[in-house]
Amino acid sequence: MRPRFTAAVVLTTTAAIALSGCTKKNDTDTAASSGSGDKTYKVAFVPKLQGVPYFEAMNAGGKEAAAALGNVEWLYQGPTQADAAAQADIVRSYIQQKVDTLIVAPNDPDSMAPLLQQAKDAGIHVATADTDAPTSVREVFVNQATAQGIGEGLTDALLKEMGGKGKYAIVSCGQTAENLNAWIKVQQEYTKTKYPEAEIVDVVYAGEDQAKATQMATDLMNAHPDLTGLVGECTSSAPGVAQAVKDAGKIGKVFTVGLGTPQAMKPYLQDKSSSAAILWDVENLGYLTAWAGAQIAQGKPFAATNNVSSELSAVAYTEADKMLLLGPALAITDENVDKFNY
Amino acid sequence: MTAVAEAKIKKRVLPSPVTGQEMVLVGVIAVLWAALAVSTPAFLTAGSIQPLLVATAPVALIGVGMTIVIITGGIDVSVGGAIMVCSVLTAKALVEAEVGLAVAVLLSVAAGALLGLVNGVLIAYGRVHAIIITFGTANLFMFLGLRIFGSGTVNGIPGTLAFFGRGPDGRTLGVPHAFLITVLITAAAWWWLRHTAGGRHFFAIGGDAQAARLAGVRVQRRVLLAYVLTGLLVGLASCFVIAQGTSTLDQSVGAGKELAVIAAVVIGGTSIMGGRGSVLGTLLGALLVQSVASGVTQLGWRSQLSDLFVGIFIIVAVGADLLRARARRNR
Repeated sequence: MRPRFTAAVVLTTTAAIALSGCTKKNDTDTAASSGSGDKTYKVAFVPKLQGVPYFEAMNAGGKEAAAALGNVEWLYQGPTQADAAAQADIVRSYIQQKVDTLIVAPNDPDSMAPLLQQAKDAGIHVATADTDAPTSVREVFVNQATAQGIGEGLTDALLKEMGGKGKYAIVSCGQTAENLNAWIKVQQEYTKTKYPEAEIVDVVYAGEDQAKATQMATDLMNAHPDLTGLVGECTSSAPGVAQAVKDAGKIGKVFTVGLGTPQAMKPYLQDKSSSAAILWDVENLGYLTAWAGAQIAQGKPFAATNNVSSELSAVAYTEADKMLLLGPALAITDENVDKFNY
Repeated sequence: MTAVAEAKIKKRVLPSPVTGQEMVLVGVIAVLWAALAVSTPAFLTAGSIQPLLVATAPVALIGVGMTIVIITGGIDVSVGGAIMVCSVLTAKALVEAEVGLAVAVLLSVAAGALLGLVNGVLIAYGRVHAIIITFGTANLFMFLGLRIFGSGTVNGIPGTLAFFGRGPDGRTLGVPHAFLITVLITAAAWWWLRHTAGGRHFFAIGGDAQAARLAGVRVQRRVLLAYVLTGLLVGLASCFVIAQGTSTLDQSVGAGKELAVIAAVVIGGTSIMGGRGSVLGTLLGALLVQSVASGVTQLGWRSQLSDLFVGIFIIVAVGADLLRARARRNR
């Protein structure tokens, strides 16, 4: 117990000094190496829910990073449903286990913030990935793409099919999901400024329920007979809106885009009920998350541009909002969908 | 005894074929549909009503079993977990073994019946209250379902089950098959519960299990049967769920469905205390809930309002049931 405790104290102090930014680089380096020469850092990641392809792909990337870095033990556990309370239990158990870095993709950022404070008080480095908890004490947020990039990517992909004008609606998922709401806000503003002839007629929330998303999309098409576009804002509603268009026999009349995982979207991209899935390389996001976790565990500061791996050679870091950015959003169509195995 | 006298006795013993609650529900649904037809012209078109009926089917179908279970004084909160097990098994069989429609349905129904049997045996012979047992099995089923999912989704589900789906293959003469099957099963159950001795034993058990036993009802067998039936219907409903979903099945399938089903049963006028209830009311309850959900979306209202309305319906329905019970006692 004692050596681990000493190491934790050294680590915390080092991190505190590094973060307050009032030391010379040399001091931090020596402290880190003397305190924990060949220590393995436990980096734990708590996804919103376990067992969905999205987070499993992140897990695969994290494992890959742990193997490449050598000094990282990657831990991964999430709730079986996207439930804030169940997620909090898992976070508490990692605090009990005294991991070195705790990274969370919070289901509810507001209720996660005090828990992250608790973790920090226990001497654990905290970070967020995929979804931010902006009001928390997290040291870094590993962002897959900016809200701007995703919102504009979705809007451009859809409006390209709709010919730059017409009415469309959004089928979102969790009503309190920070990232989804941020993207929707961008879509609303961007549509207004760039496509003045287009209009978002409604935003509805289906939870994580595919069947409900499909039914809501059907209802939206009925309520607005002149609707020509639908956006599925998350991985369960993206195939849902495409299925609704297919079932209604409106392929080519109503266009859909969505935030879907490649394998789930493949049949819809192929039959054209979905025009494009906007996503990012999820495995790389997991890789970057694990790397960032190891980085803060060792008290190493981020540079403005970071060379993480051969695929992630220039990851930008912005000091103002303490955010690592994976890169631009990726459009997945029937042409490149086979490149992704998740 | 003459035939006339026999008929008279029957009339006295049998409750009215349609309960007051059902009349009220028919009225509420009629008013709601009329109001929606006026405010959103597309509501009463085939393109809107057909998907609504399809979406009603799984909840209403499981509701038939749940009504019988609740009539016996029990409850089954494990149907969500059971849906997960049946649908993931069936989806995997469709993808990996490329089974046909009949095999898929049989597999799903058999799996459902087996899960129902587990519940039934534990409840009928274990003498522990149904809510405890099924709460336990709900978690067991969920574990089982997640294990079968194996940390991934089932992708590329073929259109084998389109017969039950929302698309054109799921209809004959404009009537969705899933809904038609649900109506037929509901009608059969209604007749069975009302006009056969075996069916009426469920009411006797829910009214007073001890009295039923003394009157010669095989209580444990009847209770077991109620849960097995619910399991069978969960199996069939899982095929509907797969057909209505996308070509991907993820682990959110079935989540929260037990509450949706119990809500439909309670709104339908079945007494949560057991002894009274009707499957017809459950079908109407499920239809009302889905109509409200579709209506809220079509009107462009906030999505969470449908939760509010369902909550109000449940409270009103339970309140009405309590008032009726009080009136009966005072008579």
